[in-house]
Amino acid sequence: MALDVRVVSPDRVVFEGEASSIVAPAWDGRLGILSGHAPLVTLLGAGELNLDRPGGGSDSFHVAAGVLKVDRDVVTVLTEYAADVPPEEIPAAAIVFAEDVVE
Amino acid sequence: MAGAREVKRRIKSVENTRQITRTMELVATSKLKRATDRVHAARPYANALQEIVGGLYSSEFSEKYPILRRPEHVRRAAVLLLTANRGLAGAFNANLIKHARNLLEELSDKGIETELHVAGKKGIAYFRFRGEKMLTERLDISDYPSIEDAESVVGPIRDRFADGDVDAVYLVSSEFRSAMSTPPRTFELLPVKPRGEASSSDAYILSPSGDMILGRLLPAYIRNTVYTAMVENAAAEQGARRTAMKSATDNAGDMLEYLTRTYNRARQAQITQEIAEIVGGAASLE
Repeated sequence: MALDVRVVSPDRVVFEGEASSIVAPAWDGRLGILSGHAPLVTLLGAGELNLDRPGGGSDSFHVAAGVLKVDRDVVTVLTEYAADVPPEEIPAAAIVFAEDVVE
Repeated sequence: MAGAREVKRRIKSVENTRQITRTMELVATSKLKRATDRVHAARPYANALQEIVGGLYSSEFSEKYPILRRPEHVRRAAVLLLTANRGLAGAFNANLIKHARNLLEELSDKGIETELHVAGKKGIAYFRFRGEKMLTERLDISDYPSIEDAESVVGPIRDRFADGDVDAVYLVSSEFRSAMSTPPRTFELLPVKPRGEASSSDAYILSPSGDMILGRLLPAYIRNTVYTAMVENAAAEQGARRTAMKSATDNAGDMLEYLTRTYNRARQAQITQEIAEIVGGAASLE
């Protein structure tokens, strides 16, 4: 079983294809996703997104801010920034403070 | 005979005009191509974002984040109008301006105060001429608007909504159905209306929490909606200009055909007259 992955930034589709696993920079740390993951929506922080291809090999991009959604092995990553190099400045939207989360 | 020379001069002038309109048509065609590519490139993100926001949205969140507030009574509304910086695009700008004016009138009839934000030289020139006050006047949006342009245009308006200065925000821009069909439309930007299927967020693990995600995503959603509208508007402008310039070129062609016929007729008449004069002159000598 493989994950169906789409990584989309505002002006292009960065990646579309299958992956056996993903490690994404969620707002509170790195988050690994394998096939069969529970449905999830999480905010993204800034960092490297790694994808392992089912046939071997891997891909990685730098992303910052946005959201990641997992639903029945379909992973959608919406990010404001996606490129081979990290952004010069981490967007404010990528920083979530723990104290904002605690109610 | 002066007629032939006069017609010849007009033919020259129409030929020059046709050359200009044809060049503009070609320029618009190539810009349209690039602008259309950008419209298509922006769609996957817009659709996916809309789907996620729509799925998360539920009315319980409304009060926690100012951006999510849903005023019961609208006292003041902001209208953001996107027009082109350049004319010679047929009725493109006029349609947008008319649409915005109708919206403003409609709102005032309901007793809602309005404020106007305009991007694009043509819209600004119109409302300035009418002596209407604009809170935003933006002339610096290029033919290929960026996400930063969208943020700088809508950011202050979004803040005004969050602060409670306005209770509704409307966006007037052109919908890019195709290069030939670009009707103006009004989009209700704020308050955010949930669309798509009803809230299905119960089934998801939400990290850190539903309202927190929405509070972060909504500004991006609004910015992206404006970005998409700007990109579509830019493509629509090029489409409208191409259509207008194509018909101008065609009309110039028709006119040239008519003028050439008139010229030939005048020339023939001149020759006939000259022969008649010579024959008449020779006859009088006999």
